[in-house]
Formats: sequence, structure tokens, C-alpha cells
Amino acid sequence: MATRTITTDVAIIGGGAAGCYAALCLQREGISPLIVCKGLVGKSGASLFAGNLVISGKLLGNTDEQARDTAEFLIKYHNQFLIDQRWARRCGEWIERVYYPELEEAGLYFRRDDAGGVVTSPGRIRSVAANVQGNSGVPFMDLRRKQVIRAGIPRLEETVATALLRNSDGAVAGVFCLDVLTGEYTVVEAKAVIMATGYSDRLHKRSTGTREMSADGIAMAWRAGAALVNMEMQWWHTNDIANPPSWQRMQVYPNPMLGSEKSARMVNSNGEEFFNQQQDDPLAFGPYTVQLKALAKQVHAGKARYDGGYFAGFDHCDVEEVDRYTTYGKIYRQLGLEFPEALVETAVTSHYRQGGIDVDTTTMRSSVAGLYVAGGVGGHSNGLIALATFDGKVVSDGIVADFDALGGKPPAENEIEFERRRLDGLRASGGSGPAPVAVKEKLRDIMWDKAGVEKDANGLDRALEELSRVRSDLLPEMRLSNSGVKANYEWLDAIDVANMVDVCELIVQSSLERKESRGPFFRTDFPDTDNRDWLVANVLTKSGNGIKFDRRAYDLPFFAPDFERKANLEVPW
Amino acid sequence: MASSASMPTTAARQGQTERADTLALRNARLAPGETVIVRIARAGGAGGATEQQEFKVPYQKWMRVLDALNWIAENAATDLAYRWYCGSKMCGTCAVRMNGREVLACWEAVEPEMTIEPLRNLPVVRDLVVDRSPYEKKVASFEPWLRRSETYPGFPEPLSHKQMKNASKALDCISCMCCYSACPVIRLGDFTDFAGPAPLVQLGQTALDPRNDQRRVAVALAQTGIFNCVSCYKCEEVCPAGIPIVSQVIEPLKAKAAVLVPAMAHHALALRAIVAARGRVDPGALVLRVQGLGALSRLRRILRLLVRGKISPLRTLLALKTAAAAPARRILGRVPP
Repeated sequence: MATRTITTDVAIIGGGAAGCYAALCLQREGISPLIVCKGLVGKSGASLFAGNLVISGKLLGNTDEQARDTAEFLIKYHNQFLIDQRWARRCGEWIERVYYPELEEAGLYFRRDDAGGVVTSPGRIRSVAANVQGNSGVPFMDLRRKQVIRAGIPRLEETVATALLRNSDGAVAGVFCLDVLTGEYTVVEAKAVIMATGYSDRLHKRSTGTREMSADGIAMAWRAGAALVNMEMQWWHTNDIANPPSWQRMQVYPNPMLGSEKSARMVNSNGEEFFNQQQDDPLAFGPYTVQLKALAKQVHAGKARYDGGYFAGFDHCDVEEVDRYTTYGKIYRQLGLEFPEALVETAVTSHYRQGGIDVDTTTMRSSVAGLYVAGGVGGHSNGLIALATFDGKVVSDGIVADFDALGGKPPAENEIEFERRRLDGLRASGGSGPAPVAVKEKLRDIMWDKAGVEKDANGLDRALEELSRVRSDLLPEMRLSNSGVKANYEWLDAIDVANMVDVCELIVQSSLERKESRGPFFRTDFPDTDNRDWLVANVLTKSGNGIKFDRRAYDLPFFAPDFERKANLEVPW
Repeated sequence: MASSASMPTTAARQGQTERADTLALRNARLAPGETVIVRIARAGGAGGATEQQEFKVPYQKWMRVLDALNWIAENAATDLAYRWYCGSKMCGTCAVRMNGREVLACWEAVEPEMTIEPLRNLPVVRDLVVDRSPYEKKVASFEPWLRRSETYPGFPEPLSHKQMKNASKALDCISCMCCYSACPVIRLGDFTDFAGPAPLVQLGQTALDPRNDQRRVAVALAQTGIFNCVSCYKCEEVCPAGIPIVSQVIEPLKAKAAVLVPAMAHHALALRAIVAARGRVDPGALVLRVQGLGALSRLRRILRLLVRGKISPLRTLLALKTAAAAPARRILGRVPP
């Protein structure tokens, strides 16, 4: 099949909050963007899952104290201090000044009451919802999709980016793409590429990552030579639905409800409550790490498991109180459970990764010329839809500033030819081994069992051995039952698997390197949080065929931890 | 729930009540390890023809249709083509027909025996994957984005939930196209210019928003063929988001069209005027008002209507009223067109 070539100013990989906003900002600046999206712009990926939207600064009557609490939450509970605090401050100011007014002007409906007041959750940190709490990402991303269409920004949808293409100077100058529905190859030539593939990857048996998430962005960036950071800092959701399997992405939201003083509660297998955010830690607005630590203590006491055996719900609330502004009852009702009387069994699910591609937070440049980053795939912060959106603006500003210097040579022909052959080869896989989907599941099992919530050097070493066996024994022997080109998701699985193996290894190596426990990162052989030696970015760069690790200290201009060393399970954040 | 004293007022609520009656049962029909028989219509493979394949899937607790498809794709037919992203009733990409009914695969409980087919009214790419582009093109042609008639006053702008009531229902749409597949008017193909329920809900998101410029709404409505909707409520019945599509989106949009683009509503307005004047539906008068003398060019149809007693020229010409005329006028006077 012939390979089509498209030329654009900037290729954006990913159609979520960061990618869409970057595209809209660039277009406004007279630079032509093109979005390559593995799924559908605004429908696939993590942005859709935004349940509610945090307000910052003095918005909607926030007090000075609430403004400060929000910043402290972001730095401490949301990033365990592994964040550029000056970037966070710029972001907060932008959210207050630009983000909310711009979204509302474009038509996003922030939920009002009948009298016209914007409904908020009360408490130390407040949030609002787009239309309904629990579903805010849906109208939010639908708006972005329509803005992109309205702006006439070209989209290659259900099209997977399989490789970054470099030119003879080593700069990223394009993207190799496969249209999953037609099987056509496309080379997108661009002066710059923005990686905006999002926060979560489906690399664990239980994961909030959606179907298409296989760590492609990180794998492609790594192969192109980009430095990565904090890949071990995996976040976990603590109360996602245990059954059925496809509902593992659905969460019993633990944060404050709109228009109510209450939040969901969690109980162990004995029916004893062990977590209720609004009571236990009002500063932990997104209380995932606090919840995880509370759960770990239950697991250690034999009263819960990481994969189930504990429960969550709203049985302490009035039904009207929950239903008024939230979608939270939908899970229970669809399972035929009494709501709000019944609790539902929940389990741990791998969620965001704090780490990712290392970026300069003033321009969103990666360490490779021509490659920029926006949103969760960056290693500069943990997720929130507002932060990802802010990245879209910063990366656009960064590219505008660099624009005259960008756009050297086109992608090298041998890189294109290599990728074409690699994909052709994968489609023709006819070994005696398993289907690619089985290899995916195998990888997820390895990661869950040996690089899951609690880990140690021993287990991580064994994970590396097993990953290496997958690489040597299973990958070359994969077998596709269908070699067609049209909507061949088996072929796509084969492409995904290569990315997943690479990134799983990087995560395990990084986990071995960080010799402490911090927030959601539990090392049983290093149980303390060590702010003296490990309040640092754990930076990985390619060195020959191996990995070189460096530590880079964080500045702490606004907030700093109040201890040097302490058992992580006793640290509130 | 069935004993609830209040009458369901919309098909959606009726559907919810029915579903609620059986949801507990539906989720408890099978025990883990029992077998779910799944028949899938597979199309567009190398051979091009559609064939039905049968799979036996072990039931897992609270299994969804999507879990069954995932099990098949992992264990029995690794090349099964089906679309899904979120698995959480948000992205709306996994809709299929299960035993003849449109469902979101991620949301619906499995049945002991199920036949799974792709959505109707859209081209099939392969197996269960349909081409969404006809829908996308329709939606884009409406330009369904907010165009303010007044300058934005800054955040937060004056707005109440009462004003946003109908638009906010439409905002729950995940564009899964269950309704588009279930719509019998869309099924007629090019016979009408009806845009279909899903594109109308998308239009409703902004057209029913009080902040929107009504002139833009008129331009969009003129392309919808909305009066071809037969109000059969099939769309409401299948909507997984529980949107009252007819009562809170299509009917308010029709009312808007009657005001903003009255030519579109010729038939509906004529019917209304006849009912108000005569207290009954007079098909003969309706034919005359809508088709005028043009009706004479369709003599065969007129004759058939006569033979079957559908029209009565005498009654029409004498403009007979019934006793219902006065109350009809009173009721219609209360409701804007």
C-alpha cells in the first residue's frame, strides 16, 4: 500500500485536553496544527474522566486561605513535592484569569442552582462541575472536539502514531501513522511534534487506562532519545469498581460532593469505616494517596485486599443529596443495588503516573530538538484537566517563540522505510506463540504481581527477568490470526505490545532506582520517605543500550516538607 | 418501584421504571462460571460476507456485554473488530445491538443467550465497527457551537439552571448513536431529510441554550427535517444516558422551528389550526391546507383515501365543528406552537 505524506507546521499526538488546547492556541497564532489521535478526539483517553473541576485563587469567593490550601494540596498531596512550584503558581494564576472565563464564554455550562448560583463543593478546597459532577469531562471534551472542528483543524482519528521520525540532524521532524480503520500508512512531516498522549497507561492488570492506552507516547519519545523522569511515581485509585472487569475505570468518587458537606466512605471486610475524606483529611481534595495509605493498613491487618474485599458508597447520605448534582448513583442502580443503602466492592487500580517525559516547564521542550510535550505524558506534574490544558497554552507559546528556528530537514528516508517494514512485519506475524492480546495480558499480570502497590528489590528484579523473557521468547513468536488491513485491532495490539514492554522495563528500573517510599510509591525494603536524599527528580537517559540515572533537586520556593525522614505510611500525604 | 403512585410522564422514565424493575434480576440471572452463549454477526473480513459465529463465554460477576466481547477477543477470536475506549458510559463508542435492542456494551448486563450485531443506519467497517462519519458530518453541518447574541460578561455569567433545563439534558449526550440506530425514520434512508435523534440532541445542546443567537439556531433548524420525526419514542427508549430525547429535546426544538422557521412547520401548524377550529383532526382539510391544489395531481392517492374513509369532502367543506372545539382552542392557546 502506498504511504501518504501530509505536511503541517505542528503535529500533535493525542486528542485530549492538552492536545486540543495546544491545537487551538497554535491555530490562533497562525501556525497550522494537525491532530493525530489513536481514538476519537475528545472521546478517547483520560480527559473524559474529569469528574469535577477544581477552582483556584480567589474564584467564586474563595478566601485567601482556600486559595493557599488549593496550592498546597497540588504540591503536597497531588505531587509529593516532585513538582516545579513556580510552574504550579503560573498555572494557578492562569486558571483563575483565563481558563474559567474562556471555557464559559465558549459555552461550557458550569452547573447552577435554580437561583443562578454556581454550585460548588464546600470545604477547604472547592470545585465546580460542568453540568453534572462525575461527568464533567464529557461536555468539556465535547466542547473541545467542536472547537477543533469549528477551527478547521485537521484530525487523523482512529490513527495510531507508531514512531517519531527524525531528520539527518537528529531532530524530530515528523510522525509515522497507521489508520487503524483503513490500514493506510501516513507520514506527517512537521516542523515540531507535540506529544500529548496523556496520563494513564494500561500496564497493570487493573488500570484506569482506556483501551488504546499502551504507553505509546513515552515509548516513542524514549526511542527518539528523550529523557524521562519519575517513571516509578505511579498513582493508584483506591476505590474503583471491583466487578465487572470493564468497570475497573469507574470510581466511587472520594472527594467532596457538590452542594453537600459529605463525601463517600470506605469500609473494610468487617464493615468498619476506614476512610471518609471530608472527615479524615479535608485538605486532601483528591485524596488518592491518603486513601491508599489507609487501605494499606487494612490490607496489613487482613481486613482488605488490593484487588477487593472492601467496599465504598454513600449509605450515610440522603439520596436527594447525592443525586442533585452528581452521577454517583448510576453504578449502584445499574447493578440493581439499592441506592444509597448498598455499598459496592471496590479495588485498587493503577491510575495516573506523576512521571513521564522530562520537560522544560517554561517552553514544554523535551530534551530532543523538535519534540515538545503537553499534558500528563510529561513528567512535570500529576494530572488534572486544568493542568493539562495549561500545558497546551505553554507549549503553544514555546513553539511560537522557537518557530523561526524550527523546520530544518524532512524526516530521513531510512527512518520511514524502517518503520514501514516494521509494521508490515508485525502484520505478517506468523510465529508459533500467542496472539498479541495474550502478551498484553501477560505484561499486565507481571506488573500487577511484581511492580504493583507494594514492591521490593527482589520482586522488581524478578519482574525484569520476566519482562526480558517476554521480549526474547514471546515477541518474536506472536501470531496474528488475520493479516487484513481493515480495522485489524490484532495488528494494533502487536504494535502496542512493543511499546508496553519497553515502558514496563523503564518503570521497573526506575522503581529499583528510587530507594525510598514516597506518597503512592511503596517500597517495603525502603519504607521511609527520605526528603534529604530523594526529594529529587529521578531522571533517566538512554546510554548505549542501557539507562543512565541522574538526580535533580527541586526548588521549594513556596512549600517544603517539615521532616527529613519518616515512615511513609505515617506521612499524611 | 412498580407500585410507585406517580405515573411515568416520559418514555425515558417509563423505560427506566421497567429497567429498574428488572435490573436486580438481570444482574443475578447467571452465576460465575455459567455459560453465556454469544452469537456475533461478523462482516467485512477477507471474504466480505457476513457470517454468524457462536462463542461460549464463562460468566463473571456482574458481567457486561463488553466483558463478554473482551473475553472473546482474548480467548476465542483474537481478530474480532469492535470499538470501545472508556468502558464507563462516557465515550459512547461501544454501542451495539444486543438481541435486537441498542445497548452500550460497557453498560448493559449480558443475557444468557445474546446475538450481537453492529448498529443499524450506519455503514459497517468490519464486524461490530460502524463508520461514524455520516453522523459526524450532519452534526458539523449544524455548526452546533455557541454564538452569543450578547457580549460575554465575565465569569460567572448570570445564568440559572431553570434556563438551562432542556439544554442540560442534551448535554448528557455521549453520542453513542443508539438512538440513531433505533430511529425508524432514519431507517427510511433518503426518503426524508430527517437529521435523526442523535444530531438533534447535539444541536439541542446549544439551540436550547438561552445564551445562543436565535438567528443561528434558525439556520441550523432549517436543515434538520425535524418535522419528519414521528414521535415514536424509540430513541428515548434506548438512550443509555436517559435523555428525554422527544419530550425535552425534539419537541422544544420543533416549537422553536415553528417560530423561527414557520415554513418548516407548515404541516404541524395546519393541523393545529384545524384542531383548534374544529375540535377534531380533519384529514381532508389537512390535505387541502398542506398540499393545496397540488393534491389534485395525486388523484389516485386521493381516491384511495376516499375509498378507505380517511377523508370526507363533505365534512371538510361544511367545516363541521365538534363540541371539543372550544376546549381544544383553550388548551392550544396555553401552549405556544
